[in-house]
Formats: sequence, C-alpha cells, structure tokens
Amino acid sequence: MKQNRITLAVASVLSLVVLAMLFVFQVRTTEVAVVTTFGRISRTVGPGPHFRLPLIQGVHKFDKRIQVHRSAFEQVYTSDQQVMLVAVYVGWNIDDAVTVLNRFSGDREEAIQKASHNLEGMIRNAYSGVIGRHPFSHFVSTDAKQLQFVEIEQEIQARLQAECRSITNGLNIAFLGIERMGLPESVTKEVFKNMESERERLVTAITSDGERQASIIREKANFESAKILAEADAAATRIQGEADKQAQESYAVFEQAPVLAIFLNKLKTLELLLQSRATLILDDTTSPIDVMKQLKPDEEKK
Amino acid sequence: MSDEPEHKHPPAPAPEISDDAGSQALSDALKRSYAIVKVVMAGLVVLFLFSGFFTVGQHQKAIILRFGTPVGEGKLYGPGAHWAFPPPIDEVIKIPVAQAQSVESSIGWYATTAAAEAAKQEPPPTESLNPARDGYLLTADENIIHARATLRFRIAEPGLRFALDFINATNAVRHAFNNSLLYAAARYKVDDALTHDQAGFRETALARLERLIAEQGLGIVVEQIENVQLIPPRQLKDAFARVGEAELRRGKEINDARSYENQTISKARAEAEARKNASEAERTRLVEFVAADVERFTNNLPSWRANRMLFMQQRQSETLRIIYTNAQETILAPRGAPGRQNWIEINREPPRPKVLERPERPKDDHH
Repeated sequence: MKQNRITLAVASVLSLVVLAMLFVFQVRTTEVAVVTTFGRISRTVGPGPHFRLPLIQGVHKFDKRIQVHRSAFEQVYTSDQQVMLVAVYVGWNIDDAVTVLNRFSGDREEAIQKASHNLEGMIRNAYSGVIGRHPFSHFVSTDAKQLQFVEIEQEIQARLQAECRSITNGLNIAFLGIERMGLPESVTKEVFKNMESERERLVTAITSDGERQASIIREKANFESAKILAEADAAATRIQGEADKQAQESYAVFEQAPVLAIFLNKLKTLELLLQSRATLILDDTTSPIDVMKQLKPDEEKK
Repeated sequence: MSDEPEHKHPPAPAPEISDDAGSQALSDALKRSYAIVKVVMAGLVVLFLFSGFFTVGQHQKAIILRFGTPVGEGKLYGPGAHWAFPPPIDEVIKIPVAQAQSVESSIGWYATTAAAEAAKQEPPPTESLNPARDGYLLTADENIIHARATLRFRIAEPGLRFALDFINATNAVRHAFNNSLLYAAARYKVDDALTHDQAGFRETALARLERLIAEQGLGIVVEQIENVQLIPPRQLKDAFARVGEAELRRGKEINDARSYENQTISKARAEAEARKNASEAERTRLVEFVAADVERFTNNLPSWRANRMLFMQQRQSETLRIIYTNAQETILAPRGAPGRQNWIEINREPPRPKVLERPERPKDDHH
C-alpha cells in the first residue's frame, strides 16, 4: 500500500511536470510574447508564466531590450552645400510585438535582423533630411550660439520616430546620437594645407607677440624705475628743505652776538681747512711769528 | 506395472520448481532494481534541490527571475551563498555592480594596431585621411585632430537597467562615449583642445557623457575618463612642433623681460633708498653740526661779553696752535726787502709709491 502511494505521488508529480511543460510557457522580463491560435494572433503577453493549448496555440517570443544600431559613415550635404560624412547610432527596441510579428517574422532572431535592416534605410533618410536643413556651422563652430549639435540629434530622432509610427513597424526609437562626423578624403588634404598655413601664421604671430610683450614689459620697467628715482629725489629734496629749516631756526640764537658767531665760525673753518698735511708758509708778520720780530731788537740789545 | 501408479503422478513438479525459482530470481532482481531506482531517484531529487544553491561574488549583486519575473520586485542578493529553485523555475542573473569596467573610444584615432604602435612601426602617414580606415574629430575651427581615451565606469545600483534593458549595454556605453568626444571637439578650437585647455575638453566630454547616461538610461556611474590622448594629425606634426617652439621662445622672451623688469625695479628701489638715506644722513649731520655751533656759541657768549678783545685773542691763538701743530710742514719766509722776491718750490719730490719693492733674497745654500 505504502509503495503504491509513493508510486502514485511520483507519477502525479511527473505527470504535473509533463503537463506543465505542455500547457505552460514562461516569458522572461526582457521579453514580450505573442500567442497564436491556429496561426492567428490571439493575444500579447508580458513577463511571467502563461497558459497555452499545446499543438493548437503557438508562442512567439521577442526580445524587447534596447539594441544599438550604427549607421554607415556616409556623405550628406549641409544646407550651405558642404559635403560631410556622418554616422549615427540609434537605440531602438520592439514596441509592438504583434506588428513586428506581422511585418517581419515570428522568429526572434530573424525579426530583429529584418527590423534592423528596415531601420537602416529610414535612419539614412531621417538624418540626410535633417542635416540638409542645417549649415555646417551648426555642427562645428567657434561660436557656441551657432552650434546645434544636440538639437540636430533630437530632430533626427523625432523624424525617425515619426516615420516608424507612420509606417507602423512596431519599433520604438529610444535614443539617437551622432557617432562620427568627417570630411571626404580629398577635403581632408585641403584641410591639412589650411592647417599648415594657419600654423605658419601662428608662428609669426606668436614671435611678434613675444617681442611686443617683452618690449612693453621692459619699457614699463624703465618707466617705473625712473619714477621711483624721481620720487626718491623729491623725497631727498624735501628732507634737505626740512634740514635747512631746522638749521635756520637754530641760527636765530646767533643774532645775540653776530660778531662772535662769525668769529667762531671762521676759527672752525680755518681749523677744518688746515686739519692735516698742510704746508704753511708764514711770513714774519703773522701772529705769533711776529712775536719773534718783536723780540729780536731786545735780544740784539742784550 | 507396479511402477504405473507412480507414472500417474504428473512429472511436472521439477519444472514447476524451476519456474518458481526463476520468478523468484526475477522478482528479487526487480526489487533490487527498484531499490536502486529509488535511491537514484532520491539522489536526483536531492541533486535537483542542491543545484539551486548559487554564490554571489564579492563585487556582484544578483537578482532572481521566477518564471521570468523578478522576485521581490527586483530584490538584490548581495555577496554570499543563496538558494533559488533550479531552472526552469528560477533564473539567477548576476550583475557585477561594484566592479570597475572600461571601454575605449573607437572613432578618433588613425588606422593602426596595438602591436605596430608598441613596436613603433606604424604605417607612415598618408597625404589624406581615408574615412573608411582613419578616425578623427572635427574641431570648432574646422580642423582635424586625433583623439582617444578610456572610460572607466561602474554599473549603478541596483544595476537592473544595465543588466536588463540592453542587449549589449557596454556597446551602448561606447557609443555614448564616442558621442561625447565628438561633442567636445565640435566646440573646442584645435589649439585649445590640444594644448591650452585639455582639461576643459575633458570636462566638456564628461559633462556630455553624464547627460547621455541619464537621458539614455544606461545605468552606469562614471569613475573617470583616463588615458586621454589628443594629438594633431601626424601629417602636420612638424608644423605643430614649430608653433610649440615659437610658444616656448615667446615664453622665454617674456620671462627675460620680466627678470629685466625685476632687476631694474629692484635696482631703482635700492638706489632710491640710498638717495633718501643719504639725504637723511645729511639732515642729521647738518642739524648736529648747527647744534654744536649753537652750543659752542652759547658757551662762549659770556666770556666774549666779559672781554671781547681778550677772548678773541685767546681763541685765535688756540686755533693757530692747533693748526701749527697739525701742519705737515711750516715754512717761514721772512718778508724781504722791497724789490726782492722769495721763490718756494712746492711738491719738490713726486710722492713715493707706497709699495716698496723688496729685493729678492738669494736662496740659502746649505751645501
């Protein structure tokens, strides 16, 4: 009896598993699935386990994650008739699985491949149409106001999205950006020539700028230096004036006896004048030599 | 015939016995097989349950999809051991959230290979750039530069966007990175991008990338943009080098002028200070000098007032004494008779040089 019960339990579990495998299918969180009954679309289902009738109903699962498609690097004309090369990248995903199934394929890989191929032409139309309305300076410019890089990307994306809606291909454009910008090969050669002459012009400009700046600095230095010295001279003259004023104030004392003052001054000057290494030539009338002369007759008398 | 009754008994028991033995053996064998199958089944069940264990690495987080839907609304399982139902019930997705990842830009460099670059055997530059082979960026002043860089990033927590929203998220990040370099170049002049403001270029690219990450929902955090290389086209290497040299020369010339400026102004300042100091000293000297004169005058005034003649005589004599004492030479020239002239020769001898030549002493001979 016990053995029978175990056998029964195992059998039921196995039957359940088999039945589940037959009647239930699961859709991953990154997927979306379309259920068809006798080949006709019945419903779309999201992530989780779902019921189906085996043999009668078919399930087509699609990857709804974003994938990035990069366009070819191709020539386009700007509104000012300049030729440039542009490649864009587009992040897209399956928005409407039923449309994708009807339009492209029921096989997930094949559907993605065909959708991607379908987008390729649409992307090219969208960006060449938008770029044709903008001058080259909207892509690269030294004037930030001219630049419309981001706006152009948004325009292309809006146009592509609108086109996807208009032809109802079931695809959503998540984002779009410019991946590369370039010039035709022959133009790059011309750019190099321009760049080279620009470099030569820069060398000349830099050299003369260096000389000019250096000369300005030197002249400024000379001017500053002269100014400093002139100010110092002015200060020195002021000091001198102050000194003279102070001296004049002291000289007032001498007015008590100008004769004495002049006499003392003369003595001092004389002393300073004949301070050292002087050779004096005196005649016998000079004081005190004159004393000698005065003494002579007395000595003779003796 | 006595054996007949014996022959009435069916002779079957022997084969019957062998049949029972066979059944028994079969039954035993089946029982044994059944036991083995049971053990194997139990083993398989255990194995099935144990196969649900999984380990999340140190730099990882994991989410469990049960029948395709995230368990606990995308609950994250941190590092360590966890259990989930084995497939097809549960699916474990490990996301390397804390692990630094990197992508390299792929649009701005000329055609080369890492091996050729390492061996310094790159193909020589061609006259022009072939768009199919060579990558480059257009600058704001419509020039061409080459650029490449590496983006280091981490998957932003919870990491579900990066792991679940993209078929190839790393590729999407690379496209955004390329776009940000293109965007930065389009608004930078060639000289700013290459020399004067490389940091600004990098900042602009980074800001653009951050914006794209948010807008496109890439679910990453930028750690840094590194190994940024911005170079002029190889075709114009010499021309750019000449500009660099001119800039160096300009720098040197300006530096020379600046040092001249410093020297000249310092010299002028020193000279100005000296002149002012000299003037100050002169003032002090004059004031002291006058003060001394005043003092002398004031001291002598009473004596002078007492007897002017005597005072003057005394002072005169004192001064003459000093003068005569200090004089190097005194010549007394008595006044001659009228018509007779005295001639005195001054500076009779030229001054002798102070350095005296020493006669060379003959070397001592100690023989």
